[in-house]
Amino acid sequence: VKPRDLAPDELDDPFWAACRQHVFLVHQCTACGRAYWPASTCLDHGSASMEWQPASGRGEVFTYTIVHHAYDRSLADRLPYAVGVVKLDEGPFFHSDIVGCVPSAVQVGMRVHVTFETVDDETTIPHFTPDTTDQP
Amino acid sequence: VDGCDLSGRFAVAGLGVTDQGIRLGRPSRDLRREALELALADAGLTRRDIDGYIGTSSEVFDDIRHLGLSPGFAYTMQAGGATATWSVLNAIGAILTGQATTVACLYGVAISGGQTARADGSRGGYGTFSYGYPRLYGFVGAGMTHALHARRHMHRYGTTSEHLGAVAVAQRAHAAVRPGTLGFGQPITLADHQASRMVVDPFRLLDCCRDTDGGVCVIVTSTERARDLGPVPALVLGVGTGHNMRNWWTGDVYDLHDDIAPAKAIAFGQAGITTADIDVAALYDPFTISVIMQLEAYGFCGPGEGGPFVASGATGLGGAIPTNTGGGQLSGYYATGFTAVVEALRQIRREAGATQVPQAEVALVSGHGGNGGIQNTWSHATLVVGVDR
Repeated sequence: VKPRDLAPDELDDPFWAACRQHVFLVHQCTACGRAYWPASTCLDHGSASMEWQPASGRGEVFTYTIVHHAYDRSLADRLPYAVGVVKLDEGPFFHSDIVGCVPSAVQVGMRVHVTFETVDDETTIPHFTPDTTDQP
Repeated sequence: VDGCDLSGRFAVAGLGVTDQGIRLGRPSRDLRREALELALADAGLTRRDIDGYIGTSSEVFDDIRHLGLSPGFAYTMQAGGATATWSVLNAIGAILTGQATTVACLYGVAISGGQTARADGSRGGYGTFSYGYPRLYGFVGAGMTHALHARRHMHRYGTTSEHLGAVAVAQRAHAAVRPGTLGFGQPITLADHQASRMVVDPFRLLDCCRDTDGGVCVIVTSTERARDLGPVPALVLGVGTGHNMRNWWTGDVYDLHDDIAPAKAIAFGQAGITTADIDVAALYDPFTISVIMQLEAYGFCGPGEGGPFVASGATGLGGAIPTNTGGGQLSGYYATGFTAVVEALRQIRREAGATQVPQAEVALVSGHGGNGGIQNTWSHATLVVGVDR
């Protein structure tokens, strides 16, 4: 499964292209600096001022769930796994899995950062993993 | 037009509810046709009296031929579990603007066999709904999205799995004495809930509803006309909507169940009521957390108090606010937003049997849905129905 299959929206293509270079982007309003994800239109300044900009790739786990049920066969060998929503330091929410720790270690407020998984030449997927250095 | 002027001027004059259950083995269009025929019989109307059709099926054009209708307009709307209340709202708008006099709001699905093909080619019920790119991470289905709300509520307020279980137990007690529900004759205990397997933490199996097949038809007309028809009319006292996109922009989307505040304000304002005036609640409840968060948002208890409130027995018969007296979606059946609409109408029509709330004069209905993308842009709809005084 590739991003283009799931989010067939060319507006987000620059984001997924940058992932191939291990760069995490947010869609930002150059007029006010507010960051958005996915591609959005600034509530105050419209679409003209929106640009993709490199972001920190850091944030905190805002909420999550641990999945114990295989909703399709392709997910069965991953159980249990943690998926949730990361609140990026730039502001937007980003849905991701939380990797690099056991699912039961995931907590709301846990600091995380992006890692990149190269699937093939066309596809690199961002994941989030705990910052072991600055946990509360 | 002042919304308060609308209160009580429109009514549900006919209600049709087919069997509701898992794998009924009938095409959805036949469930819709039976629901229509039951509602017509209930109201004492004929097909030719129906001059407006609002459906939830994408098969609307084939549908109205199959149904034998000749309406002045026919359209479908889709806001998931908010659609039921939206259809009543739009029926009123159509009548008010002279498009129709008698509108059939019609629902019917046969989804529980898991044979419904999705746009992406996958098959499955609501449990495997894809929200776009989060599918990359194995993030699918309404269970996971609602679990995100539950996790926040537990983090912020200390809500526990036992609190969630109290919702499941309370509603099963209602279903256990309501024939035709999934939970009929099968009460559960908190221990049963705690022993049920974890699905999407914090939800156990008994925190989740199941897809069911079934049809529902609600016929909306003016109260004046409804008084001349068969059953005791159930009056529409107020109706309101809200949209969760606003809470996505502010970052509150996971801390609020839906955009309930404006929906409540509009509906309660029209009805001229406060929360204390509501005798019985029919809340949209695909998962247990939904009941807890909506009891708080509608003001039956304070923020964060929903878990202990339910655990105290407040949502049972004789409690402060009997809730989902037909078992709701969790233990009754999942007719999306129509589950709650049907139960409120049953209460107002004094048809709720063993779980009839004595002197129920004002009933609250809620619905949410329209899961179209990563932000869970759920519409919320509030409906207040009451007896004809």
